[in-house]
Amino acid sequence: MSETHVTPEVEEPEEPTNRPAPTRRMKEWFSRPYVRPIVIICAVITLAFIPFAWVVLYFMNGSGAPASPTMTEIEKTILVFTIVSGPLMAITLAVLLYSLLARGKGSWGRVHGEEPPMQDSPAIRTNSTAVIAWIAATSVLAAFLVVWGMIELATITKDSYGSIASVQGPNAPKPIDINVTGQQWVWTFQYPDQGNISADTLVVPINTPLYFNVTSVDVVHDFWIVELGVKIDANPGAVTNTGVTPTKLGTFNIRCAELCGLHHAYMETKIQVVTQDQFNNWVREMGGSRTA
Amino acid sequence: MSAVATEPLYPPTGEPASVNARRNRLGLWMCIASDITGSVALWISYLYLWSLNVNNGWAPPKNAFAPAWPFWAIFGGALVSTVLIWAAYKRLAAGHRGAFLGLATLGSLLILATFVADIVQLSTFPFGPGDGAYASVTFWMVLVVAFHLSLLSFLTLGITLRTRAGRITPENPSHARFVAMYMTWVTVSILIGAILTTALTTSTGTGGPAFGTFTSQGS
Amino acid sequence: MSATLTAAAPPHVPQPKQHGKPGGFLRHTNIFTGLVTGIVLAALTYIIGSHWFVPWGTQNSTYNQVGFQALIMATFIAWVIGFMAGIGAFAGPIRWMLGHDLTHDDAEYMAGKHQGNWRYFKYTTDHKVVGIQYLVMTMVLFAVGGFLAMMIRTQLGVTWTSVFQPNFYNSIIGTHGIVMVIAMIIVVSGPLGNFIVPIMIGARDMAFPRLNALSFWLLFAAVPPLVANLFMGGIRDGWTVYQPLGAQAPIGMIGYQICIITFAFSTGIASVNLITTIVTMRARGMTWSRVPIFAIGILASSIMGLIWFPMFQFSQIFSMSDLALGTSFFLPTRGGSVWLYENIFWLLGHPEVYVIVVPASAALLELMVVYLRKPLFSYKLAIAGFAGVVGISSLVWVHHMYMTGFAPSVGYPFMLSTELISIPFGFIVLVMLGTIWRGKMWTRLPMLAVFALLFDKVVGGITGVYLSDVPVDQYMHGSMFVVAHFHYMLMGAGLFGAMGAIVYWFPKMTGRMFDEKIGQIGFWTAFLAFQVTFMSMFVAGLQGMPRRVMQFDSAFRVSNWISTIGAYCIVIGMLIFLYALVSSWRSGKVAPGNPWGSKSLEWQTSTPVPLDNFPVLPVVTEDLYNYGIPDPYIETEERLAQDDNEGVVV
Repeated sequence: MSETHVTPEVEEPEEPTNRPAPTRRMKEWFSRPYVRPIVIICAVITLAFIPFAWVVLYFMNGSGAPASPTMTEIEKTILVFTIVSGPLMAITLAVLLYSLLARGKGSWGRVHGEEPPMQDSPAIRTNSTAVIAWIAATSVLAAFLVVWGMIELATITKDSYGSIASVQGPNAPKPIDINVTGQQWVWTFQYPDQGNISADTLVVPINTPLYFNVTSVDVVHDFWIVELGVKIDANPGAVTNTGVTPTKLGTFNIRCAELCGLHHAYMETKIQVVTQDQFNNWVREMGGSRTA
Repeated sequence: MSAVATEPLYPPTGEPASVNARRNRLGLWMCIASDITGSVALWISYLYLWSLNVNNGWAPPKNAFAPAWPFWAIFGGALVSTVLIWAAYKRLAAGHRGAFLGLATLGSLLILATFVADIVQLSTFPFGPGDGAYASVTFWMVLVVAFHLSLLSFLTLGITLRTRAGRITPENPSHARFVAMYMTWVTVSILIGAILTTALTTSTGTGGPAFGTFTSQGS
Repeated sequence: MSATLTAAAPPHVPQPKQHGKPGGFLRHTNIFTGLVTGIVLAALTYIIGSHWFVPWGTQNSTYNQVGFQALIMATFIAWVIGFMAGIGAFAGPIRWMLGHDLTHDDAEYMAGKHQGNWRYFKYTTDHKVVGIQYLVMTMVLFAVGGFLAMMIRTQLGVTWTSVFQPNFYNSIIGTHGIVMVIAMIIVVSGPLGNFIVPIMIGARDMAFPRLNALSFWLLFAAVPPLVANLFMGGIRDGWTVYQPLGAQAPIGMIGYQICIITFAFSTGIASVNLITTIVTMRARGMTWSRVPIFAIGILASSIMGLIWFPMFQFSQIFSMSDLALGTSFFLPTRGGSVWLYENIFWLLGHPEVYVIVVPASAALLELMVVYLRKPLFSYKLAIAGFAGVVGISSLVWVHHMYMTGFAPSVGYPFMLSTELISIPFGFIVLVMLGTIWRGKMWTRLPMLAVFALLFDKVVGGITGVYLSDVPVDQYMHGSMFVVAHFHYMLMGAGLFGAMGAIVYWFPKMTGRMFDEKIGQIGFWTAFLAFQVTFMSMFVAGLQGMPRRVMQFDSAFRVSNWISTIGAYCIVIGMLIFLYALVSSWRSGKVAPGNPWGSKSLEWQTSTPVPLDNFPVLPVVTEDLYNYGIPDPYIETEERLAQDDNEGVVV
C-alpha cells in the first residue's frame, strides 16, 4: 500500500486509512458476479412473502374468522410478521440456492468425489460490514416485533374488556358476564346476570362485550373460541378471565386446547352470535330474565 | 507442605495429583450448581404454594404446623459437623493427621446422628403428607435434607477411612476439602429450608376461586 | 505436566495396593448381571411390599389406590438400584470409601483393555466405548419413537374410523413425545460428545471416566420403566404430563416419572463430565480462542442442561409423590397449584430445546469448515451466539404459559426476552451463511445436511416468532401449529443436523466409510417428505385444529391426509438411511485416518482410535480452522485504495 507523505494542514490528522471511500467499495462489491444473482433471488423471495402472508390468512379464515376485533388484530399481526420475516428466509434461501445450483462465471463452484478438494476457498474470517449490518438489521427487526407485539397485546387486552369505541357511550350495550366451567369433557356456560341460566352452547348477542370467568372442576382445560381469537386456560382451583366483543353473526367453534383426558377431542361446542332480540328470546326460552 | 522432590501423582494416569484435584474441584462445583437448582425447585414450591393458598388448602388441619425446634436442631447438627470437618481439614493440611482423624470421626458421627434425627423428625409432625400443601412441601424438604445428610454420612465416613488407609495425606488433602465444601453447601440449604418452614407458616393468600361449581371438597 | 501416557504405567508412578485382579469386582459384572439383579430386586420388592403397602393404601382424591402406586414406585426404584448394583456402579464409591483406590491396571481394565467387543456390554469407562453405546441406544430410541409416530399418523390419517382406543392413542402420543425428547437430547452429546470431544481437544479420556460409564448405564436403566408404561395403562397426558391430569393416570405413569428422575441424574452426570473435560483437559496450546466450535457448543448445552434438569426432575418427583404418597403439590382440592407444575416444568422445558438444537448446530458449524475449506466466518460471533442463546434461554420459559392466566402481565417481559433470544440465534445463522459464502463446496452428505438444517431452522425460527407474540399465541397455542413448529426445530434442524454430524464422524467412530449413495437417497427422501408432512401440519393448525386429538372436524381432513402420506414417506427415507448406516458399519469401505482432510485433532489420530487416543499428546500451535487461500478481492480493494490515495492531500 502506498503512503503519501503530506504534511497535514489541519491540527488533527484524519485517521490513517488506505481504504477506498465507502461508496466506491459498495459499487465494487455489487459488481462482483455472484452478488447480483443473490440479491435478485433475495428480492424475489421477499416479495413473494407478501402474497404468501395472505395465503396464511386464507387458511385461518376457512370457518368464518375473523369474528371479533381481537381476531382482526391477531390476523393483522400475523400478516405483518409474515411479511417482515421475508428477508430472513430470502437471504438464507438465496445463499443456499446459489451455493448449490449456480454455474458459470462468478459462481462459487462445487467439488464432487471421494477425495478432499485440492484447492481451498477464500479465507474470509470475518467481514465487519456484514456482521454489523446483520446485527443491526436483526436487532431492528426484533425491536419492531417486540414493540408491535406489546402494542397489539395492549390493544387486544383493551378489546377483550370492552373498551373499544363501538361499545362506549350511553347507548352502549351492557357487558355480559359468563361463567365458563370446563370439566371432563364438557363446557358449561352460566349467565349470572340473566337469571343464572345454564347452557352447553354459548349464545351471545353481537357487538356486546363479553367477560368470561373461567375455571375447571377437575383438570386443566383450555377455553378456545377459535374464530373470535379467545383463549384462556381453565384451571382447577383458580378463576381466569378474558373477554371479547363478537362483531359477526354466525355459528363458530369452541374447542378445548389442552389435553384433558379420554375425550379431549370431543370437548367441543359452538358459539352462536345472534342479534340482540334473538338473544333476549333465547334467554327467555332458557327460563332466565334479563336482570338489570 | 513438606518439601518433596516430586509431588504426589494420580496412580491411574500418572498425572500430578494437583491436576486431578483441579478437575475434581470443578466437577464438585458443577454438582453443587445442579444441587442448587433442585433445592430452588423445592423452595419455589414452598413459596408459591404458600402465597397462593389454593382453595385454603395450604395449612394442615387445625393449623397444626410442624414444631420449629427440630428444624433448627438439625441445622445446628449440620453446622457443627461442617465446622468440625473444616477444622479437621485445616489440621490435616498443616500436617497433623491424628487431629484430622479425631475431628473427622466426630464430625462423621454427628452428621450420622443428624441424619437419624431428620428421619425421626417426620414422626414429630402433627400431620401426614396428604394433609395439604404445606404438609406436602415440608415432608419433601425433610426427605431432601435426609438424602443430603445420608450422602454426607457416607462422604465423611469415607474421608476418615481413606485417611486411615493413607489415601488422604497432608500432601494430598483435596478429597477432605471437597467434602467440607459440599457440607457447607448442604448446611446453607438446610438453613434456608429451616427459615422457610419456620417463618412462613400461616398463609396470606385468599385461597380459591370466587364462583361457580368448583367445590373445595375432593371430587 | 506429564504428557505421555503409554500402555504400561510409567514405572515411577507409585501405585496403591492392587486389590484382586485388575478391575476387581467389575470383572464379574456386565449387562446381564445388571439385568438379573435389577429384575430380582424389583420382584422381591414387589412381593414383599405387596404384603405391607397395599393393605395400608388409602384412596386419594383422584380415586387412585395410593398404596398400590407406592408399591409400583418402590418396585421401579428397586429395578434402578438393582440394575446399577448388578452392573458394578457401586464398586467405585465403595472402593473410594474404603481407600482401595484404582491402580493403573484397574483403570486399564475398566477402560476395556483386552476385552474385545465384550467391553460394550460392561461398565466400561473408555469414552469411545460409551460413545458407541450411546449411538446404539439412540438408534433404538428413535426406532421406538418413530414407530409410535407412525401409529399416530395412521390414526390421524384414517379419518373415517378409529384405529385405536382413545386412551391408547393418548398414551401413544405421550410416549412418542418423551421418547423422542430423550433421544434428541442425547443424539449429539451422547455419541459425539463422548466419543469425539475428548479426542478433538487432545485428551486421553474424559475428566471422570467412571462417570462416563455411570451416565450411560443410568440412561439404560431409565428406559425399561418408560417403555413398560405402555403395558401398564400408558401415559395418557402428553409428554408434558400436566397435573392434575397426570394424577388420574394409571400406574404406568410411575414408570414415566422414574424414567425422568433417573434420566435427569444421567444427564447431570454427563454434563459435569463434559464441562470439566472441556474446561480442564484441553491440549497444550489450545487456548480458548482455538477451541473447536463443536466443543464450545457441547459446553454451552451441557451448562444449560446441568443447571436446569433438576427442575424437570423435581417436577416429576412431586408428581410421583402426589400419585404415590398422597401429597398435593399439584392437586388444587388440597392446596396444590397447577401453575406450580407448569412453571417448574417449563423452567427446564425451554432450555431443553436449546440443549437439543445447540449441539447439532455446533456440529455442523464444525464440519462445514472442512467441506468448504475455508475458516469459520466470525468464530467469535458463533461463540457469542451460543453464549447468548444459553444465557437468555433461562429467561423465556413463560412463553409456554402465555394462555394459562397465571399472571397476565408477565406476557410483556417474556415476549421481550423471547424476541431477544432470536438475535444470538441469528448469529449462528449468519455464521453458517457467511461460511458458505464464496466457498467451493464439497458436496458430501454432511455438508448438504447443513442446507437441511439451515432451511428448517429458519422455518422453525420464523414460526417461533409467531408463537412468541402473545396475541398470535392466543390463536395458535394448543393447536397443531405449535406441533409443526417444534418438529421443524427439533427434528428438521436437530435430527437432520445430527444425522449429518454422525455421517461426518462415522469413519472415525466405526472405521468404515458411510455409503453416501444410499444414505443420500434416504436422507433427502426423509427431508422432502418432512416438508410435506409438517407444512401441511402448519395448515391444520392455522385452520384451528387442536393438538393431541384423535378425532377432529372435517375441515382438517385434507391436511391430515397429506401429513400422513408425508409421514409414511419419512419412514421410508429413514429406513433407507438406517440401512445405509448399518450396512456401512458392517461391511463398508475401510476408512483412512483422515478421509476429509480435516485439520482438527480427532482426525490426526489413526482409525481405529487407540485406547489412549494419542501416542503422544498433541500440542496445538495454530488455529484449527486455518484453511483457505487469500481472498482475491482483497487485491482489488488494495488497488482501489492505491487509486484513491495517490496525490491526496489529507
